[in-house]
Amino acid sequence: MTTVPLFLHDWRAWQPNRPAAVDPRLSTFERPSGQSLPAMLRRRLNGLGRAVCDMLAELDPDSTTLMIHASRHGDGERTLELLYALAEGDAPSPARFGMSVHNAILGVHSIASDNRRSLQALSASGDELAALFSEARGYLADGAPRVIAVFSDAPVPARFAEYAPPSRGAAAVALAFTADRGRRVRSAPAATNPDAHDPPQPADVIDWLVDAAPLRSPQRGLAWRLDD
Amino acid sequence: MIIDTLELEDVTPDDIAPDEPLFVEGLGLDSIDALELGLALQKRYGIQLEADSEDTRRHFANLRSLAALVEERRVK
Repeated sequence: MTTVPLFLHDWRAWQPNRPAAVDPRLSTFERPSGQSLPAMLRRRLNGLGRAVCDMLAELDPDSTTLMIHASRHGDGERTLELLYALAEGDAPSPARFGMSVHNAILGVHSIASDNRRSLQALSASGDELAALFSEARGYLADGAPRVIAVFSDAPVPARFAEYAPPSRGAAAVALAFTADRGRRVRSAPAATNPDAHDPPQPADVIDWLVDAAPLRSPQRGLAWRLDD
Repeated sequence: MIIDTLELEDVTPDDIAPDEPLFVEGLGLDSIDALELGLALQKRYGIQLEADSEDTRRHFANLRSLAALVEERRVK
């Protein structure tokens, strides 16, 4: 069996709690504009959703690229609000329900950009990054010239916080992969301990891109690095 | 109520013309907005609507027809 190589062709990221960025691919604005979206669609997205849509519009201006979106927790705030409404005997908000589903952000982006390609949303109990890399390789092996993999998360609502690893804050990163152009992503076995290392969050991926910080999957015992 | 319920950005009451369509054209609301508006009418005025009826389409045609519905059928 041969494995399709993975090359990072371009990227965008958003991390509002980070010091002002020197890299133009990284945005640290507290309130992303959502300028890629018409106002009637933008109103439904929170800051993280707006940031993701703006990054995708920059990476795929012609709306021709397959996209995968991973988030460990999704929109916990909206889901919890729905549950509170049900617990009170109220009818849940249709708009809130529509935006609480895991593929909501990509869905809004696809409507705004008229992207008719495959769009996939996934969650993997902390193994999102490895899942994204695997899925991207799969699409490239199938002949896709380019795949965009998005990883985003926000802190879970306070009520759930003790059940989740400590959050590094809201952040999102969009990685454009090809099978032959850009910086190659290499993986190697690494001594990791799932009990000692938290699974990678979007902020860890941004550190990897900007500062060449280590990036590991504790679940898989792997570390990733980027060729120069 | 429309602006608050549907979280419309940069829209004021004066921007909504009484006889302009609310959905698709005019204000540009969509099917999720229709459901949300139906729920708001129920919560605020106690008005129950049937989702698929022609009458509901007529009531939701524009601001004037929606106001007439509220005047006629409100129970709170």
